Amino acid sequence: MNDTVRQFRDFFVSLKLTVVLLVLSMGLVFAATLDQVNLGVWAVQAKYFHSFFVLWKIPGTDVPLPVYPGGYLLGGFLLVNLVSAHIYRFKRSWRKSGILLVHTGLMLLLVGEFLTGILQEEYQMALNEGQTKNYSESYRFNELVILDTTDPKFDDVVAVPEALLTTGSALQHPKLPFRVVTKEYYPNATLSLRRGATGENPSLATAGIGPQITATPQPLTYKQDERNWPVVFVELLGPEGTLGTWLLSPQLPAPQTFDYGGHSWRLALRAERAYKPFSLTLLKFTHDVYLGTDIPKNYSSRLRLTTPDGKEDREVLVYMNNPLRYAGLTFYQASFDPSNDHNTILQVVRNPGWLLPYLSCVMMTLGLVVQFGIHLLGFINKRRAVPATPA
Amino acid sequence: MRRVPILLLLVSVTLLSACRQAKVTSYRAPKETPDPLPPGLATASTNAASAPRPGTPAPPAPGSDMASTAVPTAEGSDLAWTAPAGWKPKAPGAMRKGSFTVPGPEGDADLSITAFPGDVGGELANLNRWRGQIQLAPLASGDLTTATTRLQQNGLSFVLVDFVSLSATKPARIVGAMVPVNGATWFFKLMGPDPTVSAAKPTFLTFLQTVRAPAAP
Repeated sequence: MNDTVRQFRDFFVSLKLTVVLLVLSMGLVFAATLDQVNLGVWAVQAKYFHSFFVLWKIPGTDVPLPVYPGGYLLGGFLLVNLVSAHIYRFKRSWRKSGILLVHTGLMLLLVGEFLTGILQEEYQMALNEGQTKNYSESYRFNELVILDTTDPKFDDVVAVPEALLTTGSALQHPKLPFRVVTKEYYPNATLSLRRGATGENPSLATAGIGPQITATPQPLTYKQDERNWPVVFVELLGPEGTLGTWLLSPQLPAPQTFDYGGHSWRLALRAERAYKPFSLTLLKFTHDVYLGTDIPKNYSSRLRLTTPDGKEDREVLVYMNNPLRYAGLTFYQASFDPSNDHNTILQVVRNPGWLLPYLSCVMMTLGLVVQFGIHLLGFINKRRAVPATPA
Repeated sequence: MRRVPILLLLVSVTLLSACRQAKVTSYRAPKETPDPLPPGLATASTNAASAPRPGTPAPPAPGSDMASTAVPTAEGSDLAWTAPAGWKPKAPGAMRKGSFTVPGPEGDADLSITAFPGDVGGELANLNRWRGQIQLAPLASGDLTTATTRLQQNGLSFVLVDFVSLSATKPARIVGAMVPVNGATWFFKLMGPDPTVSAAKPTFLTFLQTVRAPAAP
């Protein structure tokens, strides 16, 4: 083993590293708990735990600085530290088999949390009675979509995640005969009608509904019951020059359309979609409340699940604590529109690592039982071995 | 020097953390099943080769509900109203200009106040959108006269409707009013269980009498 490898090994096997990582983890949890007041649960999870570093923006700039190790870094190092300790430091013996089980369970827990963090998808599907959908929608992320709707049978979609829509960014996609330039992007903004009053700044938008609307940037919100409404001004540039600048926002309830190059196009900034190889139709939504209150007693959705090949065509009932599990997805009865008795909102979750926390808990419990059992047996045997002393 | 490899490791982890990037995707999607709600919002359709011009209405995004998506009007040009004491104000949020819970015998009804630029697709499209929300068949243009009541008060021209859906398991009713103001259309919609909305209708009509246009500058 050369010196460099030995240095790595010594670093990761060190018990000091374990202690430092645990102290840092406590600091992380403490800071995240306090920051939850400002950011809410989801943003805190993303900032502190589902990250390699906690980033802090230098005031007045958009430059992020890593100021503290994040959950992925601490968890990753803890995992490597534990595995290295088992390889190089711990001596394997039957008497310590319980500890091995507990530590293996802990490793699984760390791996499971990491997998959940990077692979879990959480979307929602809102359906009116009679409506069919083959996609779910994100309630946190948006996307700019440009659809070629010329063909009567399908739409060709180019989807640009909101994260790429920074002011001044440009995009040329092979499926688009024009370039897409983000002229202005507001992560959160309100829309208001232009009155044509004197003193109003001219709109950046030159096409669609945009020239009639003013977008006013607002501070980002992190509250649980609020969401940010982004606004983007997008200019499309063809070989002949500009095709126009459109104002797009998920607050606009309909996409905007235009014709170019003999094709029909549709533009929108909408909730990010995840398409499925199957469809769900809401047949009936039932909503009961406890008498004289608004407290939900029971709500359920009767759905029809169909696949294009006809292999699936069945009715399913989704209600509280009875989700539909299909194609690696779980559909929970999450909510409904209080102003519309014929609408359901399903939470759609994909989590390939969902089994690991259960397995790890079983292993850790078993490990503790085994370890305490071994000690108990040893203690009993020791007592038996001591000859009784005469009274 | 002993710590150089460890530092290198930390730097590489830092760089790795910057690798999770969003990507542009393209795919072919089946034509969306037409929404049961009729078209509502008149977005401008533009021939990109020519100057912008108003065009035909675009189909609404699936699941969209124009009445609950408001484009607030400019500061100082909002309509003003006085809500009855029994109505419980709700936070209008990003979507509405005003929002109230209207309590009633068979569950609460919801009163929403929204505003949109232009005529938002016209009277027929908007009324049919409301009808779709309580599972009623769309009206034909010839039915407009009988289905609506026109009202002039406080210098505003209201179009009043009263739709009830008795076929649903829980009869639902919408009593609503549309009013064009300064190039925008305002919507006042009371929707909920039939007994509640029926009981609240007189109060709703009185409430409409309190709606006033912004004072001239």
